[in-house]
Amino acid sequence: MAAASDVVGSAHVPAIRLRDITKSYGVGAAKTAVLRGVSFDVEPGEFVALVGQSGSGKSTLLNIIGGLDEPDAGEVEVLGVDTQRASDAKRAGLRNHSIGFVFQAFNLLDHLSVLGNVILPAAFARDAHNIEDRGREALRRVGLSDYAKRKPGELSGGQKQRVAIARALFNAPTLLLCDEPTGNLDSETGKEVIDFFRELNAKDGVTLVIVTHERRVSSVAKRVIAMRDGMLVETTDEELAAAHAQRGGPA
Amino acid sequence: MMPVKNLTRMVVSNTLRSRRHFILSAFGIVIGIATFVVFLASTEQVGAVLEKIFPVEQVSVVAPRASLLGKDISKKLDDSIVEKIRSRPEVDRADPTAIVPRMALSFPAFGRGSFEGNDLKFEVGGFADGINPDYVNDDERTRELFKDWDSVKDDPNRIACSPPPKDPTEEVIQSPRAPGGSPKPGVYYNPCPHPERYYCDEADNQCHHRVPVVMSPTMIELYNGQFAKSHGLPIADTDFIKFVMKRGGLSAMRFSVGLGLTTVAGSNTTMRKARRIEAVLVGISNKSMPIGMTMPIQYIQRWNREFLGDDAATAYSSIIVRLRDRNQIAVFSQWLQDELDLRLEDSLGEKFATALFVIRLVLILISLVIITISSINIAHNFFMQVTERRRELGLLRALGAGQLDVLLVVLGEAALIGLIGGVLGLGLGLGVAHGVDWGSAHYLPKFPYKPASWFHFKWWILLGGLVCSTGFSVLGGYLPARRASKMQPAQALTQN
Repeated sequence: MAAASDVVGSAHVPAIRLRDITKSYGVGAAKTAVLRGVSFDVEPGEFVALVGQSGSGKSTLLNIIGGLDEPDAGEVEVLGVDTQRASDAKRAGLRNHSIGFVFQAFNLLDHLSVLGNVILPAAFARDAHNIEDRGREALRRVGLSDYAKRKPGELSGGQKQRVAIARALFNAPTLLLCDEPTGNLDSETGKEVIDFFRELNAKDGVTLVIVTHERRVSSVAKRVIAMRDGMLVETTDEELAAAHAQRGGPA
Repeated sequence: MMPVKNLTRMVVSNTLRSRRHFILSAFGIVIGIATFVVFLASTEQVGAVLEKIFPVEQVSVVAPRASLLGKDISKKLDDSIVEKIRSRPEVDRADPTAIVPRMALSFPAFGRGSFEGNDLKFEVGGFADGINPDYVNDDERTRELFKDWDSVKDDPNRIACSPPPKDPTEEVIQSPRAPGGSPKPGVYYNPCPHPERYYCDEADNQCHHRVPVVMSPTMIELYNGQFAKSHGLPIADTDFIKFVMKRGGLSAMRFSVGLGLTTVAGSNTTMRKARRIEAVLVGISNKSMPIGMTMPIQYIQRWNREFLGDDAATAYSSIIVRLRDRNQIAVFSQWLQDELDLRLEDSLGEKFATALFVIRLVLILISLVIITISSINIAHNFFMQVTERRRELGLLRALGAGQLDVLLVVLGEAALIGLIGGVLGLGLGLGVAHGVDWGSAHYLPKFPYKPASWFHFKWWILLGGLVCSTGFSVLGGYLPARRASKMQPAQALTQN
């Protein structure tokens, strides 16, 4: 559990609370501002799509929310934990117990079996129990019960992404952060993944933040947050369509 | 921090999955540790042999030779000197064997015996001395037999007997045997009880226990190197007792000594009333004089008194002194010179020990340099590994690994490589040692104190090898591990 000093004490705790987040890369003349004072809240159980052109800063923002990157300035509170003030161990614990990540590139470890990849988060949990059973249950949820002993190299792209989702769901997180989860999938497989996320959000109440270029993804989200040049912008359907078109996805 | 069990499992799995990395990293450690343990074990063994030859904890006090008009006026080492030495703070007074006077047999004596069918004649005068029997306690046998048997009261075996008749052609006859199955008429046999231990002494026509003697390992080496070869006799085993037991036991190693006689042509062979006694070899001891034989000092005192008078029976040839601390040798030596006009016998052992110490330091330094280079090699390999595995390490962070977890995973891999490399290094070292010993046994000629093995792998050498290999590997892996733990997971995950 989070220490008292790291937990924001208020009656209403948003799942994510960002205030004036700034982030830049490079130094001197090569310094590029990626985020310029981003602020918003995400309520528990929301399904949020983060959209914008390439380089708009949405993946950086997602990494900051997940504690995989640090802002130069601003306040980040995730599930009631002030991740700026929390120790590294506290942030690691938060990622392990409460946050699931799904990446565009799947990020499966080839030397481990499918089940080994799914239960990998248990390696860092001190109180893990029924690990294999929970791993198999996570695989069953994504429809890969029969693939437990296979290696990632033997799977298709869609199957790999479902393994990555099973891994993200292994510890039953309350917040799922997805970075272009359908970016490497064909449209049919991508649709299955999106349907799965929608069901996860609707039935289990998992808070979802998805970075995407695809309109079909953003169209199922309950809320769309658009970004341009490191800032939040008002979005219209036309702009959304333009963003998707630039990426080459369906409008 | 992640549970130790999970950490261990992950470390083992990661280490074993990349053979190329493992071989590249462990190779230097294997060579370094093999060198390290072989060098240490060899210098340890050489040191042990050296201490056998020259016990470093003890010194030998002697009187400088001086003569005036042909008369020996050297300072006499007697009991008053012994007491003065005993009063010194450098000497442990509570230890009864801290001061051990030696007395040389100071008149001619001539030995005769047989070995492997060869009639042996040898000079004893000048090649025998006496020592406190309590000092010679090398094994059970010497503790039991190496004593002054003539001072044992009420010895039931000291009965009247007839000594062997004089042989007009031989000055000293060979030690007679006990009667066999069918004794030949007219042949003299040992009439004493326990004939393997007692003989009939011609001085009082009574049975006496043979005079017990011990010899130094140097004598065995001389026997093997010179005598056995020239006489076509079998080479004595390193375990001399085993060798002798095969040939009828130590009691078979008996011989006669003609006191007051000599084999040296032209010498005065009848200096008083020569007589014959019998002796028996009871053991091998480093406390014996190197070239010759040593017996309980009481025998020498009695014979010196009998043949040369009281003065010879109270003058010691040297005094062995064991100091509390070898670092006090210099102080003690100075006191001897200033106060008693005596000196310490030149100690080759000390010079050898110093040389060995320096050699050991150099060898350890060489092996440490090899291990250090292999540690740098490990660092290089791990830096490459960390770069290659950036995405994997970033993923671990995303899944809940803290910086400490990543640090421990990489350090654990380095430690495991070090440990396995250390074990393989020990194996290689033991194999090399075995090979050298085999070559030594088969191709090197026998020489004094040639050891059965040139290496002594003490437990601390093996443990030190493992600690060193693991420690240096962890040291080499530390910077890469630190870099891995400090990586931003987001950046690591975007690696292509």
